[in-house]
Amino acid sequence: MMPAGAALGYDATPPISAPLRYFLTAPFFGMLAGLLLLISPDVLVSRWTPGALALTHLATLGFMVMVMVGALFQILPVVCGAAIPMAGRIALAVHLLLVGGTVALATGLYKMSPPILTVAAALLGMALSVFLLSAMIGLSKVGSGTGSQRDVRLALIGLGVAALLGLSLALTRAQGLPLPMFSMLQLHLGWALLGGAGLLLAATSWIVVPMFQITPSYPRAMIRFWALSCTGALTLWSISVLLEWKILSLILLGLIVALTALFLFTTLVVIGKTRRSHPDASYRLFRLGIWSLIAGLVCLLSTLVSDAPMLRILAGVLIIYGGFVSVIEAMLYKIVPFLAWLHLTQSGIKAPNVRQLQPEDGTRKQLRIHTVALVILLMAVLLGNDWLTRLAGAAIVIEFGWLFFNMHGVLSAYRKTRTDSPARRYSSAA
Amino acid sequence: MKTIDGRGLEPPKPFELVMEGIADLESGDSIKLLLDRMPWPLFRVLDRDGYRHNETIREDGVVEIEITAP
Repeated sequence: MMPAGAALGYDATPPISAPLRYFLTAPFFGMLAGLLLLISPDVLVSRWTPGALALTHLATLGFMVMVMVGALFQILPVVCGAAIPMAGRIALAVHLLLVGGTVALATGLYKMSPPILTVAAALLGMALSVFLLSAMIGLSKVGSGTGSQRDVRLALIGLGVAALLGLSLALTRAQGLPLPMFSMLQLHLGWALLGGAGLLLAATSWIVVPMFQITPSYPRAMIRFWALSCTGALTLWSISVLLEWKILSLILLGLIVALTALFLFTTLVVIGKTRRSHPDASYRLFRLGIWSLIAGLVCLLSTLVSDAPMLRILAGVLIIYGGFVSVIEAMLYKIVPFLAWLHLTQSGIKAPNVRQLQPEDGTRKQLRIHTVALVILLMAVLLGNDWLTRLAGAAIVIEFGWLFFNMHGVLSAYRKTRTDSPARRYSSAA
Repeated sequence: MKTIDGRGLEPPKPFELVMEGIADLESGDSIKLLLDRMPWPLFRVLDRDGYRHNETIREDGVVEIEITAP
């Protein structure tokens, strides 16, 4: 037996606006990505076109990182027991910098404009430094008892490394810094997708998957060693890439792929053991995301034996849009109504049921629109058809519009309950 | 002592069960709660309302919390 639950800064628990401002902004970047496909379908010709770079960063920074940073304002206190100091003000400042930086980066990449890229690097540098520093201060006050607590730290470090590499790349483009562009790009991709997003997905999955999908826990050995092994492998791989040790970097890449596959297949096994008699839409959206990540990994591996540029674009679509966007949407539909419920309850207000805050029908429609948009986008890449790309863009605009509508709906229900209910102790009302 | 087993229930069901359970407690009475994880948000509400709580993590990973009414 071990004691737990030491000193906690409850008073510093962030206001609901801290995560929600991010969750409500992220869909707009998704819509912008859809609009870009709608008006410039040629962006998918190569992953290096200015449009493709802008599109990728609208999806990754504008949607993925936006939601992840917002979620961390809540994950740190709820999952780790760590509170970010002055969370409300920090959340507002980081949000403004991140929104401005993402708009500038997407514009700078699309127009290949050095001055705009320099502004983007400055804004994003400030946003991520302030956020990472605040999160680390919050985490420094709690132990690293559970796998999630330690792995959130590792994910934050991974996000920091990815950001530094990204900023260096932006400045290389803008100011012509003499850096090895191709190696830096490889490292930026590896740290952003696995070191940052992947580790954060794992760290939250250890807790959130069993909690919301009603499954057994992940294997203990996995929780204990997976993220550490990934960070170690990524670090060694980065050194081998920078030193141009080609055989070693290939072996380490194989190890990274094997570790990623281990997490994905374990997740499928874990969610396959759900105690739900009828898997809900969030569950199916999450499962779609995991399968899409596996398919993306297969496409990435295929690039080792084939030079077809389409494979890399397919991998990007499957990993970023089919994979991360799916699992993030699945988690949002669980986390946002739960947060609204929690904040009402903690204010002493009798909260409506979470199903009333976010009806299942809305999540089901999200699953349908997202699946249709993903299939159209994959077909557009496979067939190289501009009209299919435009259609996919339109479907993506509708998808993120629907996501915003539902997230805003939860906020409206939260506000209405607060306005209508005189504050009263939950316990006396029960 | 009454035990509430919140393992395997989707949030916020365990939270609701605890709130219903502690509403019936007399001053100084306790209930035991079993969960799969540390319920940080619940602690905030318990502290606010003056309930004492003592938590331990068992060898099998189950979090055991004893809640005592003020």
